[in-house]
Amino acid sequence: MTAPDLGGAPTAISVDSALSCVDIHKSFGGAKAVNGATFSVPKGSITALIGPNGAGKTTVVNILSGSLSSDSGRVMMGDTDITALPSYQRARLGLIRTFQLSRELGGLTVFENLMVAAKVQPGESLMNVYLRPGLVRQAEKESRERAASILEQYGLYDLRDNWARELSGGQKRLLEISRAVMAEPSLLLLDEPMAGVNPALIDRIGGHIHELKAAGVTVLMVEHNLGVVEKICDHVIVLAEGRTLATGLMSELRENTDVVRAYLGGVLDGRVDR
Amino acid sequence: MSPLVYYLFTLAFFVFAYCILGWGLNLQFGHGGILNFAYIGFVAIGAYVTGALSLGKPSGGQSYIFGFSLPFPVGLILGGLAACVFALLVSVLTFRRLRTDYLAMVLISLSLVLYDFINNFVPLFGGADGLTNVPEPFADALGLDTNTFVPFFAGVSLLVALLMWWVMSRITNSPFGRTLRASRDDDEATAALGKNVFKFRLISMLIGSFYAGVGGGLIVEFAGAFNTSAWLPGETFLIFAAVIVGGVGNNKGMILGALIVPVLFTQLPKFIPDIPGHPGLILNIAAMAIGVLLMLVLWFRPQGVIPEKKRLSKLPPLSERHRSTGAISAQLTTEETL
Amino acid sequence: MSELFLAIGFGLVVASVLALSAVGLSLQFGITNYINFAFGDFMAIGAYTSWTLNTGPLHVNIWVAMLIGGLLVGVMAVLLNRFLLAPFARRFQKLFYILIVTFGLSLVLLNLVSSIWGDEVQRYNISNQAPQHIGPFLFTVDQLVVIGIAIVAMLAIHFMLTRTRIGKSMRAMSDNSTLAMTSGINTGFITTLTWFLSGLLAGIGGTVLGITQASITPGSGETFLFVIFAAVIVGGVGSIYGAMVGAVIVGLATEVAALFIDPSYKLDIAFAILILALLFRPSGLFSRPGKA
Ligand SMILES: Nc1ncnc2c1ncn2[C@@H]1O[C@H](COP(=O)(O)OP(=O)(O)OP(=O)(O)O)[C@@H](O)[C@H]1O
Ligand SMILES: [Mg+2]
Repeated sequence: MTAPDLGGAPTAISVDSALSCVDIHKSFGGAKAVNGATFSVPKGSITALIGPNGAGKTTVVNILSGSLSSDSGRVMMGDTDITALPSYQRARLGLIRTFQLSRELGGLTVFENLMVAAKVQPGESLMNVYLRPGLVRQAEKESRERAASILEQYGLYDLRDNWARELSGGQKRLLEISRAVMAEPSLLLLDEPMAGVNPALIDRIGGHIHELKAAGVTVLMVEHNLGVVEKICDHVIVLAEGRTLATGLMSELRENTDVVRAYLGGVLDGRVDR
Repeated sequence: MSPLVYYLFTLAFFVFAYCILGWGLNLQFGHGGILNFAYIGFVAIGAYVTGALSLGKPSGGQSYIFGFSLPFPVGLILGGLAACVFALLVSVLTFRRLRTDYLAMVLISLSLVLYDFINNFVPLFGGADGLTNVPEPFADALGLDTNTFVPFFAGVSLLVALLMWWVMSRITNSPFGRTLRASRDDDEATAALGKNVFKFRLISMLIGSFYAGVGGGLIVEFAGAFNTSAWLPGETFLIFAAVIVGGVGNNKGMILGALIVPVLFTQLPKFIPDIPGHPGLILNIAAMAIGVLLMLVLWFRPQGVIPEKKRLSKLPPLSERHRSTGAISAQLTTEETL
Repeated sequence: MSELFLAIGFGLVVASVLALSAVGLSLQFGITNYINFAFGDFMAIGAYTSWTLNTGPLHVNIWVAMLIGGLLVGVMAVLLNRFLLAPFARRFQKLFYILIVTFGLSLVLLNLVSSIWGDEVQRYNISNQAPQHIGPFLFTVDQLVVIGIAIVAMLAIHFMLTRTRIGKSMRAMSDNSTLAMTSGINTGFITTLTWFLSGLLAGIGGTVLGITQASITPGSGETFLFVIFAAVIVGGVGSIYGAMVGAVIVGLATEVAALFIDPSYKLDIAFAILILALLFRPSGLFSRPGKA
């Protein structure tokens, strides 16, 4: 997709999209949170989902991940329709998400937080626990190794035996992302991964996102900071009042006066130094 | 045997029985986060079914179902399974739809209705009179009298408790237990990692109910009788208190919890003579004391008197890790960025 | 046919008792967002307080005694919230702490009641009344008064919620407490007032329960709790009007069902309705966003 597609009309779903949604609607009581959002996330891209506060970004992420069911509309992963799947089944297909407010598993240690996320766990079946302890032990050993190296990569190794609830805000962010990585995503939804963390950490998280892309993971991230978006994302989706306002490259959107006037203007003036 | 020794064996039995009850609730509540306010109902089902299966055909104005004269431990196991089946029904009806507090509401309603129903419906388990003269296991075969049966059965219960402790610790130390605790801490985030939270909760509910049923079965076989005065809804609270005092998610702490709460506060006061003119006042005071104790524990030691033990990773320190793998990590010095 | 009308008539009486208590429970749930499992014991304290006033040396008229009992429970509810429940709710994010505290409170209060008043079944001192025909129905004067009290209370709550500033603040808080707090509503005052009203209704509900059942025991409020829960769930948890409608449905259903089954199981019907509601309309008839 190269040309910015304006006006929010439903677009054709491109063949090489990793994730797409068509005409998503969701209201809470009387309030419309999402009102016909339609977009697709190109395979292998780092795509940003931007929009003003209350635009419905988190609600869209919730619907994509299956944490919330939409009132109408479809969600596709590649060319599989996943609209009816509960969130845990989507996750097993490789669609993993993080939350806007970190959701650490507070009563588990940092290490256990990662271990829980491991995809292959014969020990989750009690049958195996009693009858095939060897199998369970072997799988645990492999997960331990993976968890250890991810913790190390994300700089959490020394905190491995701390209760997750005792971490600082920034550490919880890293834990959340590393836990998602542990779950072996093919597609990662990050809801404001850099909100409320210090600049050094922003760079670090940006680096990790690039590593993921290099490893073949498609990333869709909600982000307010347009500087960050410009630096690390190759594709942008603009959401306003629950509708897709525009999609395309950041540079193209910036030149589009409609978009700038309708939404980007204020944010650009306020947030990005040019 | 001196009355004191006899009495100590009785208390020991109750410690073992309440440990089993506590482990079951701990799996549901401590590890699974399910507020099963109907727990005592599952205990009662186990007790009634075990009792009615162990008894012979009803006679002399008694009435109850079964009456198969099943030997120990068949009745006990079936009692546990009966509680399990009941749990399955309840969970399938309610688990998918309800958040914690509504589930607790439905469960507490369930235990009140169950109580009401068993109390009224005489043909089932004898109504308000309940079951009496439940045979004492092995008493005939070994020629035990009342004096010798108590220490003997306390020993049997110890064996059962040890077995059930082993089974439970395998569960809670397994990846299953870990995922269950994850769902307790945050079910949505756990589901987002690909876990079928419903399945984990359901299984913990079923196993916990089995423990409830077996605990109830042991009590009926020990006491020889069971009726609705033994499982007033407040009893659920006792077991909750035992779990919380002993440490949520902590199987060993349960022993302390069982010792302090049900035994010290409810079994012991039964042996204190009534204050003249105020029958039952001692028990009322004990019950209030439990309520107050629990609130104090929750306030001052919210993780329980013996907190949940950290399950350590047992990974080597970073430096050793690299000596062993031979890799060098210069790129990651993290402290200053966090 | 006439039996059916009798049952409907008594169903309306039960519905009145239920409406008072269910609305009391719902008001407080709407504001604090947790269920008070000690509510049944609040009712018992109201019932016994008015019993002491009514049958003791003072011989207070039952309706006056009911009101005094209600006021006392209202004050008690405010104090319990202030010194026990609110601190716990503030300190612990996890819902189950506060739920266990109210559950524990119910044990404490139940035993407090039975140690003060004993476990014997008690009755109010009210004269035996011949039932009067009213259309096809048959009511005693006391039953009519109970229905009247419920109607007046429901109307008063309706007007409070829709016409007064306090009532509107209550609704705002119940819909969104953070928003309400930032928009200048005195949330502390509203919370206190809500606990008072909830306690008042619990106390009155306990006394009218004792009057209509012609008996008071320490556990009668607690046993009645699941009927209240049924009404609340059928109507939609936290919805005041839902609680009123749920009360009527459950009240009528239990009494009419008593025509067809052994009356000693009639309250179990309430549980059957609760399960049906969960199966077919889990969020209740008047579901509210964010509370289901
Ligand atoms: N559970 C809910 N109940 C009621 N309204 C909700 C709920 N979740 C979201 N909303 C409303 O839907 C709208 C969209 O919310 P959403 O959280 O998706 O926005 P957002 O774009 O993520 O905003 P932000 O940048 O602040 O994170 C908002 O008006 C919000 O108030
Ligand atoms: Mg958001």
